[in-house]
Amino acid sequence: MASEEQKNIDYEQGTVSAVELHDSVRRENPLHPGGEGTVGISVLVASAFILILGGGQLFSTSNGFRDSIYISENYQPTPKPSLGGADAEGVAVAWIVDWTKDGKKVYNNCIACHQASGLGIPGQFPPLVGSEWVDGGTARLGAILLHGINGPFKVAGQSYNQLMPAWNSLNDEKIAQVITYIRREFGSLPEGDDGVVTTDMMKAAREQFSGQATPYTEAELLAIPESENLPGSKVDLETGEPVGGGEPVAEG
Amino acid sequence: MTVPQPTPEEIEERATIDRSTRFPVMFFFTSAAAWLLAATLLGFLSSLKLRVPGLWDECQFMGYGRLFPAHMNALVYGWAMQAGIGVMLWLMARLTRNPLRHITAILVAGHLWNAGVALAVCTVWFGFGNSVPLLDFSAWVWPIIALSYTLIVVWVIPMFRQRRASLTYVSEMYLVGAAIWFPWIFLTANILINKGTAPVMGAGLSAWYITNLIYFWMAPVSLAVAYYIIPKISGRPIFSYPLATASFWLLAFLAGWTGFSRFMGGPFPAWMSAVSGAATIFILLAVFATVINLMITLKGCSKLWEYSPSLRFTVFGMLMLALYAVLSALSSTYSFGKNLQFSHFIVGLDTLAFYGFFSMTIFGAIYFIVPRITGAEWPSGDRIRTHFWFSTYGILTLVITMLIGGIAQGGDMAVWDRAFSTSYVNSSAYVVGRATAWALIGYSNFLFLYQLAQMFLGRGRKSEGPTLIHAKPGEANSAKAAAGLS
Repeated sequence: MASEEQKNIDYEQGTVSAVELHDSVRRENPLHPGGEGTVGISVLVASAFILILGGGQLFSTSNGFRDSIYISENYQPTPKPSLGGADAEGVAVAWIVDWTKDGKKVYNNCIACHQASGLGIPGQFPPLVGSEWVDGGTARLGAILLHGINGPFKVAGQSYNQLMPAWNSLNDEKIAQVITYIRREFGSLPEGDDGVVTTDMMKAAREQFSGQATPYTEAELLAIPESENLPGSKVDLETGEPVGGGEPVAEG
Repeated sequence: MTVPQPTPEEIEERATIDRSTRFPVMFFFTSAAAWLLAATLLGFLSSLKLRVPGLWDECQFMGYGRLFPAHMNALVYGWAMQAGIGVMLWLMARLTRNPLRHITAILVAGHLWNAGVALAVCTVWFGFGNSVPLLDFSAWVWPIIALSYTLIVVWVIPMFRQRRASLTYVSEMYLVGAAIWFPWIFLTANILINKGTAPVMGAGLSAWYITNLIYFWMAPVSLAVAYYIIPKISGRPIFSYPLATASFWLLAFLAGWTGFSRFMGGPFPAWMSAVSGAATIFILLAVFATVINLMITLKGCSKLWEYSPSLRFTVFGMLMLALYAVLSALSSTYSFGKNLQFSHFIVGLDTLAFYGFFSMTIFGAIYFIVPRITGAEWPSGDRIRTHFWFSTYGILTLVITMLIGGIAQGGDMAVWDRAFSTSYVNSSAYVVGRATAWALIGYSNFLFLYQLAQMFLGRGRKSEGPTLIHAKPGEANSAKAAAGLS
């Protein structure tokens, strides 16, 4: 038998049949074309699960595929308590930030007429920016929100003939939030007024204006003093707790 | 199952094809294995540096910011892609039953590729790099890499066009896909990043490039291997061929959408991360369909992977592919991803892809191919076994510690007023796992390179019968009994 080295040299020079050396190719199985097996229902169910998961991800985070939306509302890194949740509490955002943020969400009800900018549509829907109804006391504003207003009425010197519907189907908290948002965002507030309306204030307002069955007319609204505020104690903007021992704040 | 025995003509044809691929494929395998050893060493040093930051403080070449990118470049371009290219050439020649031609051109281009990789690693290491992961070499290096890739892989296309089998096998589809997709993603990413897209978009593009490199190149090549090795060694047809082709098209359709979800919450329109997150989840369909298909093919012959090195590495690689797909799908949802992004977890995830599924599958292919093209058997089954277990323990250690460390680090970073160093200090314990992992992988690949060099130098075992991980009891030396196992 020729030595292995000699065989190897012959193989490299191509002078010996490769098959003699290639035990590996001889023992190799042929490659079959594939089978026609079918998978069970469980695989279909699993596929549907993956599709639902992926679709959920797509539509819950894409924010309507608008190019202008950069950060999805769902994106808010939330450290687990075990990973430093205690610290996270220490950096909790001020109460007023959450309160107006919620108010902004409620304001979505108002966007169709008053617009996201609060400027309304000239000649059709009144603005909130520069409106004496927003800038004045909270009593008139609360009354409008609870029972609506029917035209004709004047806003910032312009006359409008429209019906604003009553929003008393919203709960007190939501109305309070949206009034806070409107006043802080669009109003020019008098000195010392933080623009905040609390749930308690709205509860009192519902009581106070419960006699009104139809939307207000301008005259009826003007009967409420312009600078009158809804009764209730001011709150600390950081914590949302009432300040001044719960006594009603002097009006005016 | 009785298998029809191949005719002498078929055997002769296989042997001719194997002989034609011998020099280029062995060149790619051995130089890739050398790069792998270098990459492993750099990986170990960079992990050590991350754990003990004061180490080698005076030496600018030993900083993490240079060691880690050099490690990644060597791992991906030096080892993974180069070994993958070798496998591509051999597999395509075998599947289309064409001998490999233009061997000199391929060898020259292969040297050019190695020069390109060396330049890529060195420019990063000497401080000329930028900070775009895996594209961080100097801007003039990428044309070398793109050109040499094209000059090598372009020969896959004529082989495919002149295929002599009646059926286009699914592995061929994957190989042609991979051959074409890589230039596309590589050129897109490099041209856009280097030629003035907004820096923010550059960050997104680099994430897009990495996930596409994984799903558009590494996954197709390793699936081509799996669809070849598993039926070959088990002697069975793929359980469902239509499912195999369907999952190919699904992957081809979805892979290009992935990547941007790594920057969820970042300065991109929200829909970009939403779409790519959804694509990453939908890809689970393709991956599960493939892995389940392959596992059902193997059902009932689990004994085979106790013996056959190729099958054991390939099957493990496929399981790691499934793990990778699940982890990346999880991390692309808001609930998990927002606390994992920019953390160790991403390093673990990428390494799982590069080493866990791609490299392990490629090891399987190499253990299959090299005995055929060198005409000798692997010297030692024990060393193959050690290679497998050290690699397995290494990559699992790395993935698990980086996952847990990533959760800790990401949780710290989510607390906005916490010092950034806290996130580093709290997670640095887990980096020990990463260093350990690279030490284990390094040892396993030292053995691998040693065996491969022996095969390269013609010092393989000359015997009937394959080298198996465990000798089959009582029939160790019977070639017939071991038929098809390697």
